[in-house]
Amino acid sequence: MQILSCRLGASGSEAERIVKANDREYNEKFQYADNCIHTSKYNLLTFLPINLFEQFQRVANAYFLFLLILQLIPEISSLTWFTTFVPLVLVITMTAVKDATDDYFRHKSDDQVNNRQSEVLIDGKLQNEKWMNVKVGDIIKLENNQFVAISMRQLLEFFVGCGRETNLKVRHALSVTSELGADISRLAKFDGIVVCEAPNNKLDKFTGVLSWKDSKHSLNNEKIILRGCVLRNTGWCFGMVVFAGPDTKLMQNSGKTKFKRTSIDRLMNTLVLWIFGFLVCLGIILAIGNSIWENQVGDKFRAFIFWKEGEKNSVFSGFLTFWSYIIILNTVVPISLYVRLWQTFYFGKALCILKLMERFFFSILMDGSVEVIRLGHSYFINWDRKMYYSLKATPAEARTTTLNEELGQINYVFSDKTGTLTQNIMTFKRCSINGRIYGEVHDDLGQKTDITKKKEPVDFSVNPQADRTLEFFDQRLMESIKLGDPKVHEFLRLLALCHTVMSEENSAGQLVYQVQSPDEGALVTAARNFGFIFKSRTPETITIEELGTLVTYQLLAFLDFNNIRKRMSVIVRNPEGQIKLYCKGADTILFEKLHPSNENLLTLTSDHLSEFAGEGLRTLAIAYRDLDDKYFKEWHKMLEDANATTDERDERVAGLYEEIERDLMLLGATAVEDKLQEGVIETVTNLSLANIKIWVLTGDKQETAINIGYACNMLTDDMSDVFIIAGNTVAEVREEVRKAKENLFGQNRTFSNGHVVFEKKEQLEMNSVVQETVTGDYALVINGHSLAHALESDIKNDLLELACMCKTVVCCRVTPLQKAQVVELVKNHRNAVTLAIGDGANDVSMIKSAHIGVGISGQEGLQAVLASDYSFAQFRYLQRLLLVHGRWSYFRMCKFLCYFFYKNFAFTLVHFWFGFFCGFSAQVGKKTLFFLL
Amino acid sequence: MKTTPQGCQSRLPDNTALKQQQLPAYRLQLSATGVLSGFFATGVFCLGVGIILILSAKSIKEIEINYTKICANCAKLRENAVNFDKECTCSIPFHIPETMQGNVYMYYKLYGFYQNLYGYILSRSNSQLLGTDVKDVGSCAPFRESHNGTPIAPCGAIANSIFNDTIILSYNLNSSIHIKVPMLRSGITWWTDKYVKFRNPSSNNLSSAFAGTTKPPYWPKPVYELDEEDPGNNGFINDDFIVWMRTAAFPTFKKLYRRLSRTQCFIEGLPAVTRFRGEKSVVLSTLTWSGGRSLFLGLAYTVTGAVTWLATFSMMAAHLMLKERKMFFSQQ
Repeated sequence: MQILSCRLGASGSEAERIVKANDREYNEKFQYADNCIHTSKYNLLTFLPINLFEQFQRVANAYFLFLLILQLIPEISSLTWFTTFVPLVLVITMTAVKDATDDYFRHKSDDQVNNRQSEVLIDGKLQNEKWMNVKVGDIIKLENNQFVAISMRQLLEFFVGCGRETNLKVRHALSVTSELGADISRLAKFDGIVVCEAPNNKLDKFTGVLSWKDSKHSLNNEKIILRGCVLRNTGWCFGMVVFAGPDTKLMQNSGKTKFKRTSIDRLMNTLVLWIFGFLVCLGIILAIGNSIWENQVGDKFRAFIFWKEGEKNSVFSGFLTFWSYIIILNTVVPISLYVRLWQTFYFGKALCILKLMERFFFSILMDGSVEVIRLGHSYFINWDRKMYYSLKATPAEARTTTLNEELGQINYVFSDKTGTLTQNIMTFKRCSINGRIYGEVHDDLGQKTDITKKKEPVDFSVNPQADRTLEFFDQRLMESIKLGDPKVHEFLRLLALCHTVMSEENSAGQLVYQVQSPDEGALVTAARNFGFIFKSRTPETITIEELGTLVTYQLLAFLDFNNIRKRMSVIVRNPEGQIKLYCKGADTILFEKLHPSNENLLTLTSDHLSEFAGEGLRTLAIAYRDLDDKYFKEWHKMLEDANATTDERDERVAGLYEEIERDLMLLGATAVEDKLQEGVIETVTNLSLANIKIWVLTGDKQETAINIGYACNMLTDDMSDVFIIAGNTVAEVREEVRKAKENLFGQNRTFSNGHVVFEKKEQLEMNSVVQETVTGDYALVINGHSLAHALESDIKNDLLELACMCKTVVCCRVTPLQKAQVVELVKNHRNAVTLAIGDGANDVSMIKSAHIGVGISGQEGLQAVLASDYSFAQFRYLQRLLLVHGRWSYFRMCKFLCYFFYKNFAFTLVHFWFGFFCGFSAQVGKKTLFFLL
Repeated sequence: MKTTPQGCQSRLPDNTALKQQQLPAYRLQLSATGVLSGFFATGVFCLGVGIILILSAKSIKEIEINYTKICANCAKLRENAVNFDKECTCSIPFHIPETMQGNVYMYYKLYGFYQNLYGYILSRSNSQLLGTDVKDVGSCAPFRESHNGTPIAPCGAIANSIFNDTIILSYNLNSSIHIKVPMLRSGITWWTDKYVKFRNPSSNNLSSAFAGTTKPPYWPKPVYELDEEDPGNNGFINDDFIVWMRTAAFPTFKKLYRRLSRTQCFIEGLPAVTRFRGEKSVVLSTLTWSGGRSLFLGLAYTVTGAVTWLATFSMMAAHLMLKERKMFFSQQ
């Protein structure tokens, strides 16, 4: 459903929003948008003018209207208005009917949403009310599996999974409001005032404060349920409406997608202009010819055509002839390419039915067919059995039908790693606990060997809750657990406690985990198999089964994960009353927070981590901290204060998190394997052979990224050099880029800062020369830090120059925004066609900014697919898409266009040449032409 | 995930040659021999047809007698419209060097008469010519009505400028005996023109059918008196009129005038050629299966064939040279 936001009275410049619960009169003062949505474009009155206006806005329609007006002038065309008008009206009516039907269905779907029933607390009672009548400030009740059509703040509930697709998210209510329970009378008296941010489109951020009973409570993203969500695993909940209708985040987010065009389209546009110029030239030549003819020959001939002689002057006749020929020769302009079949009826001279048929025949063959050909190619992509992934029963899908031939023109492929090159099925492989590596298999001689089938996996059958799919090949870990090594126990306990996983029991009584990221799932599953089973959670407690005994931990604080912190922590009180902080996160970050006493262990674990990373495993470091009661209480108080403020809250909270996550005691590290997808190596090799450059943009750490690079043959040992840029400041990055360039080009080339804009062109020209002279394969590895510096400063151009000369570029530790920036950089500064491929929500921006976006219909929900132009299930299908479908589409389109132009010119120039035989009188002559030859 | 869920089977695309792009024509693999022999065969065909067409056109006997200058005095006389009913005759003796076998056709040929002008072609009334409404002269501007407002029948510029020279062919046995060669006026039009597109208004008497209309300004006689010999050949279905109404595409054209059997001629009448700086002539010609004496089609075929052959040989040369080079590369 296409959504156009319409604001009803709500001011766009709203700085913050104040909503009072259960007080409609108070809220009406602010004129907030109501919950009625309008996605329809027209109503009965406005349909005709708006629709006609829209139709004539199209270049083709306007062009044909112009031709039509020309034909209505009797001196230029002697057709009666009726014969010309009918086809025009026909075309306009058909389009209008189509638009009207579309809009009718939009009206219907609007009505359906607007009239959906909801339970609203009005006058102390729960009443059924239509969605469109729900007002900001109302308190409404939601039930399990109910679709949320409003943004509302969580007032009360115990536990909510909220999300779209498979992506569940936890939402908690404030503890003060939870106390209200389902007591309607108390709810009706609730009169808290919410002050929160103005409507915006940031789905993952919300700040606000609830003032109630002289105290202030902060509200964040976890306290709000957004429109478009579905309640899961929750009986019911009450909520207060904060945003309604067009102000909701879903509606604010439904921006228009950019209209993508292919390079052939752009070429066609310039060609059309040139041809139009050519047409005008033809018209002028013929008009001059007509003037001369009228003067010399026609003069003598007038008696036969005009009763009285000397009626007409030859210059005026030439002028009229010009316009007549513009009409006749208009077929040479391939504007009809963009026009649907029947619009060719516009062609004015189409008088008799036979001619109409002939036109129709030609138009079916030619004119409308660029789009038809593209549509056909899209179907070929959809139908391709070689791009069908049987395990997931997903065929490839061309979601955009207009970009097919561009697929054959790709120069750069930007690929995500996780889930795109790899399977995104995480398995727990190795761990390092207290300086000892587990999961390494030694053969009898004490040498490390690869895990082979001969080795017996650890037998988890003693544990009835174990997940059968996990295989672990080191018996020593099981032995350590049995021996009761406290560090090992603590390690596994942490894995079972510190996560955002939710558990569910399926019908067979088996525990099923709902995970937000597969990494976490792998770790929690590993803990489960080793006897630390995560059972369930409530907002205040986490229950796990430790080697057969149920233990309930009190959850005191949850320090969530984000891209800047790159770690998450929980603070729990165990049954013995001890308060512990468990933290897991990226090693680089975590190692800075350790207690100095960990130094020995740190070096040991670092070695292990680089070993893990060297094997291409994803690693996390794990640590804990014992907290004393008093310190925690003080800290908790400060956190609550910080949360209650509106300004700079995020910074203050982050500071508090920093404060408590220090002096950590290192426990060890985990390594999770993410296997390469089938056929990735082959695909990468083939694409490289086709001179397509592949850039990997990943959020993983450098070692992991490089390793994956080697694993899928993007980086090879044959390469002359692999430049690694990992500077932390602008100066360092500049120096590193300079060194790399010197290495590449030799010393004789001076390093330019790229300051001077007008030199850029020269520079680019030089590049093309240099590009040929650089021998050997180079690769570039750059991390997110350096990239951020490079993208913001003047090093940008040098970096791009360097990167484009390398065979492979790996960007690691990059944020979603940086991914898009890298794509934009190449797209804007190189005359190249880019393709971005990814599977997750973090790839959406990249997919949208590239010329062509490809989504992997895989594990992480559908956002990437929804934003993409093409989607399929496996990375290896990319080579078929580009090298087979893209190539064929491009070839066919080019052949077709050549033929199309040939046909246009052959068809039209006949009239031009005939002009010389018929006194330039704009006679079509085709009908009679056949007789005399 | 070994068992695919129910209903997913239907998502597997069909394995048909069309959908999998495996039809042989999807990827035309053209071999050099195939292309070359195809080109060669096309060349042979075109050259053959072209030569046959040229030969058959050449076999046509055609005699053209230009009477523009010889009958200039008549043309002068006619230039003044007042003299339109004055008789003017001129005769041209000519000699047919060889026998013309088969059907012989007599054409009149006009040089520089622009029957293809846009305004000219549109100036006719099809509904009038169909006999449905004699007074419908709407599309005939400027020859719609006479000065006193009576509609013209047949109206329009085409009808007005009809070729109305009378050409009589006679055989001079000696200076005193002239034998008039019998000429057939019938069978010179298309069947559809004569019986479908041109109908007289229904009435028992032709002159009453055209009552209320007037003759075109340049005509000497009204339309129902065009053929004094055959009353059935009058009105809109007059053969000469129909032939004229089918406009020619080029300014130089010939139109069929009579079918006949041999000898000599005599000429008079309109159009006054000097007014459009053109020329008039009479053409006697035979016909073959391939049409009249036009070399165009034959030449077109011959040239196409020759160009195709040229292309064949140049491609063959390129192919042979490249083949050597390819062999050279593959040996290395």
